[in-house]
Amino acid sequence: MNDGTLLLARAEISRLRRNRRYLLMTLALPIILYLVIGAQVTTVVDGLPFAAYYMIGMAAFGSFSGALMNNSVRIAQERKEGWIRQLRLTPLPARGYVVAKLLASMAISIPSVVIVLLLGHFVGHVHMAASAWILVAIVVWLGALTFAALAVAIGYRFQPDQVQPLATLIYFIFIVLGGVFFPLGSTLEKIGKFTPTYEAVTISISLAKSQPVDGLMIVGLVIWLAVFVSLAALSVRATAEAV
Amino acid sequence: MSGAVVTFDNVSKHYGSLKAVEGLSLELRAGETVALLGPNGAGKSTSLDMLLALRKPTSGKIRMFGKDPYHAVKNGLVGAMLQSGGLMPEVTVRELVTLVTGLHPKPEPVATTLRRAGIDKIADQRVDRLSGGQTQRVRFALAIVGKCDLIVLDEPTTAMDVETRRLFWASMKEEVASGKTLLFATHYLEEADQAADRIMVINRGRLLADGTPAEIKERAGAKRLSFRLEKVNEPFLLGLPGLVNLDVRGNVVHIQSSDSDATLYAVLDAGYRPTEIEVSSLGLEQAFLAITAEDDRANVGSAAASSNAKEMA
Repeated sequence: MNDGTLLLARAEISRLRRNRRYLLMTLALPIILYLVIGAQVTTVVDGLPFAAYYMIGMAAFGSFSGALMNNSVRIAQERKEGWIRQLRLTPLPARGYVVAKLLASMAISIPSVVIVLLLGHFVGHVHMAASAWILVAIVVWLGALTFAALAVAIGYRFQPDQVQPLATLIYFIFIVLGGVFFPLGSTLEKIGKFTPTYEAVTISISLAKSQPVDGLMIVGLVIWLAVFVSLAALSVRATAEAV
Repeated sequence: MSGAVVTFDNVSKHYGSLKAVEGLSLELRAGETVALLGPNGAGKSTSLDMLLALRKPTSGKIRMFGKDPYHAVKNGLVGAMLQSGGLMPEVTVRELVTLVTGLHPKPEPVATTLRRAGIDKIADQRVDRLSGGQTQRVRFALAIVGKCDLIVLDEPTTAMDVETRRLFWASMKEEVASGKTLLFATHYLEEADQAADRIMVINRGRLLADGTPAEIKERAGAKRLSFRLEKVNEPFLLGLPGLVNLDVRGNVVHIQSSDSDATLYAVLDAGYRPTEIEVSSLGLEQAFLAITAEDDRANVGSAAASSNAKEMA
């Protein structure tokens, strides 16, 4: 990894740590929702105590929303304002900006995932095998990479004022259809099955129940990642002349 | 080739039928301060963008220190400030300068950059809360952090007030004094005249004139000669040596001449005895206007000629 890219990633992280809106969306909101709803409801859903289901949902919510909402808007703004262009005039490698954004985004979503899982354990009294805790954390965390790639694709393609509603709409659809907040009814689930959110949540639920993971879910998630990465590459290339 | 900091070899950039830059060839030598002068839309920004690897030429070759533009930029050989270049928001000026310093292979110490750009007093302010002039100085700082041998500035003083502009050129002179090559685009003629030791005039994507400010003025017919003459003979005046432009108002004759001495002697040699003779220098502004106007006229002429040719065919 190029030193300049790491330096930029570090600067991005310190910026995000100061951004109240970002912290509210990715850290405070999932924590509060979990404490207010997740740890209080005592039903069993999908063969899991609600406290466990909601823990997975909120960990995914925090990490995915940071990756998509924040990155897409930032990238569109920084492209418009010329910061990306300014960076292109420095020795930073051509891909450095995007790589730094992804690194920073992944790094800063770690606390939100870890805190929600800790709350699940200590407040929601969720019990899982030690390996399951680690695997759930990794799936929810790595799933955010899909959304970070989508954020790059959108941020490089659309104007800042278009990005906000567009990303919100896409995210809302994925969150609802993916069953992140509550399990779906049978009809919606038939459609929702194909969303990356559903796949990440379902893989995590299987892990939490110590059941074998459906291979199709993993394949589905990898396909989404591949599609979004390709779209991101296309968007970046399309603006290479005009950034 | 050796010693050339920048070369453009027959470079063109077309957007569909629009020829933003057309067959541009030029060479910058080490230590020069060169102004790229032209009206809006002349191709200045496009040329600089191509030099800085932000755009690819449609044809032709650009070299910076013998390398292709992309590798020259990535080797930290050039510091640049563009009109369209932005800053990272939500960080302090010091953090931003420190970041960009870290991206360069052999940078200036952060404190030196801050002082030279005149932003040491606002170093702890947030970048997104600066005034226009302060922002411009921070962008200038980013152009000098790399201690690069070539500095490229696209209309650097656009958003600056008079005082900031003066400070800007003062710190720029400091940079140039240490042997750096400076290329800047401007449409402020005064600025080109005062700051540059070489001016390239471009219009409609082509290089029209290249020389010292004095040479540019001369080339445009840089003296104005006026006198009063009874019984003006226009055909005779139009044949005068050095004549670039003629304007007769009643008995008063205004001549723009590339060689006012020769023009005046010819008048006298023909037996005329004009009165109220005045000879004055043209500023760079008139020189620039004369050069680009001449070019535009030639272009209109050739366009008309070609459409006539089509009608006849």
